[in-house]
Amino acid sequence: MSEHSDQTSNRIYLQPTPVRIWHWLNAFGIVTLGISGAQIRFPDYLHLFGSYKSAILLHNTAGILVAISFSIWFFYYTCVARKMTLLYVPNRDDLQYGLLRQAVFYFFNYFRGKPNPHHPMPDNKFNPLQKSAYLAIMFVLVPLVSLTGILLMNVSPLREFVLIAGGLKILVGLHFLLACSLFAFLFTHVYLATLGKTPLSYVKPMWTGWEEIEDH
Amino acid sequence: MRRYLKTLFFGLGLAMLGFASPLGAATMESGDCLGCHGDIEMVGAKFLVDQLAFDHTAHGELGCPTCHESVTADHPDDGLTPSKAGCQDCHQEVGEEYARTGHAANASCGDCHNPHAARATTEVSGYDMNRQCAACHDPSELAASHGTWLPQAGLHLDMLPCVSCHTGSENYVVTLFLVRRPGGLEPNAPISTAPFELAGYGELKNLAEGKDIQSLVDIDGDGVVTIAELKNFNTSRQLRALRLRGMLTPEAVTHSLQTLDNRWDCTFCHASGPGAMQTSFLALPREDGAYRRLPVEKGAILDALNGTPDFYMMGATRNETLDLIGLAILAGGLIMPVGHGTLRFLTRKNRR
Repeated sequence: MSEHSDQTSNRIYLQPTPVRIWHWLNAFGIVTLGISGAQIRFPDYLHLFGSYKSAILLHNTAGILVAISFSIWFFYYTCVARKMTLLYVPNRDDLQYGLLRQAVFYFFNYFRGKPNPHHPMPDNKFNPLQKSAYLAIMFVLVPLVSLTGILLMNVSPLREFVLIAGGLKILVGLHFLLACSLFAFLFTHVYLATLGKTPLSYVKPMWTGWEEIEDH
Repeated sequence: MRRYLKTLFFGLGLAMLGFASPLGAATMESGDCLGCHGDIEMVGAKFLVDQLAFDHTAHGELGCPTCHESVTADHPDDGLTPSKAGCQDCHQEVGEEYARTGHAANASCGDCHNPHAARATTEVSGYDMNRQCAACHDPSELAASHGTWLPQAGLHLDMLPCVSCHTGSENYVVTLFLVRRPGGLEPNAPISTAPFELAGYGELKNLAEGKDIQSLVDIDGDGVVTIAELKNFNTSRQLRALRLRGMLTPEAVTHSLQTLDNRWDCTFCHASGPGAMQTSFLALPREDGAYRRLPVEKGAILDALNGTPDFYMMGATRNETLDLIGLAILAGGLIMPVGHGTLRFLTRKNRR
């Protein structure tokens, strides 16, 4: 019996502890960033965290937390688990057949009650659509929104970089639109997490690490 | 207004006294005074008056004898020290207001204001306002003390005149100044990361190739800077060494020199929404060292790309088009949960 599976109870160990810590730190941090960021951009409409200064301090703290958690994730998958490419980069089969197969499932076969063609395993956790989405999110969107945020947190000391980026206003606009994109993804992410056998069956492994294997 | 009327009546009064006074005092004109006091070699630095600067002040319009009424045509051979009017002779209310502050024990009017180069608030750059404060208040200490409570203290100190928060100032506008790196406007200037400084009249005049420096930004010369002209300025290769630095400046200040309670609240400036930050000016240096202002088209401060790339006030100068694009992106993110979720609900029987 593999250390990652439990045949007697029909379940597999899918989400290691560092990944789960990272995920929930990220979730908590990003939601905080979104709400405090909304107050910072729309102070004439939103007063969720008391003073404006509180919202800024909370936003900055959550931003640092998410940047650290991103680093944990990157370090863990690159240096400890050494599975970054395996898990997050779509392979040839994914590109040729997997993306279409998964899209057909989500937008057609799911409604007909057909099974999910992807079966998550520790070395192949994400379906081809997930891989592609996470690749864009984790390697483009999150680094860019973090980078623009770091520059906006330190405008005076990093002024030269602000100028290279095109000025403060370009950075603010970019940071805002990237954050909106991240939240647009988040809505889809949370919804798809409810698509399991029960609404919580995909959420539970991210809390306990173990996923029940679905019968097909 | 009352203050100016008082000044006017005081000046007229002094002028009438001049007619009634002995002949020597009446015959002394500003031009006579500046014939010597405009030349450093004749009077030395202590008694030098910058004629160009003085001529453009309200004090210059009143003339030297208005304040130095005892000066005679025999000065300096008469050996008498000319009298000096006190600032409060005209500026009584300001003086009384200032006397109630802690500053009064440490600095007299002349420590901050040169009476021979006194300007209206809107004729002084935000940089020059802060230079007066920095004569006593060390900027690095200010950054440290403000940093204990103010997020991005260095940025605030760069973008605001001290008097914006530390007097009962009113009616804030965004004033854009032309800045460049030291030596940045010289031909073949090396790439530098030195801090930006105000561009002076002379170097801008050279850059404008003899034309009015207004033409560097206000291309059509109509006295109003449009967003299209700002775009042209911001993208011009010829003017790439120049940038527009925006500061939030007050139209009127007091001499109460206090920190009003509402200035501790960030939302005093940051919560007004995009409707409020609509008034802005381009401040151009004059030959006499003061600044003149050109109105900037409404909306330039809010423009996402072409207006003022280096000026952004969180909450107050956000771009509404970007808000709508952001909203559309968020709405796009709801397509999956709403659309897929609806079909999922309708087809739930298939998955039992």
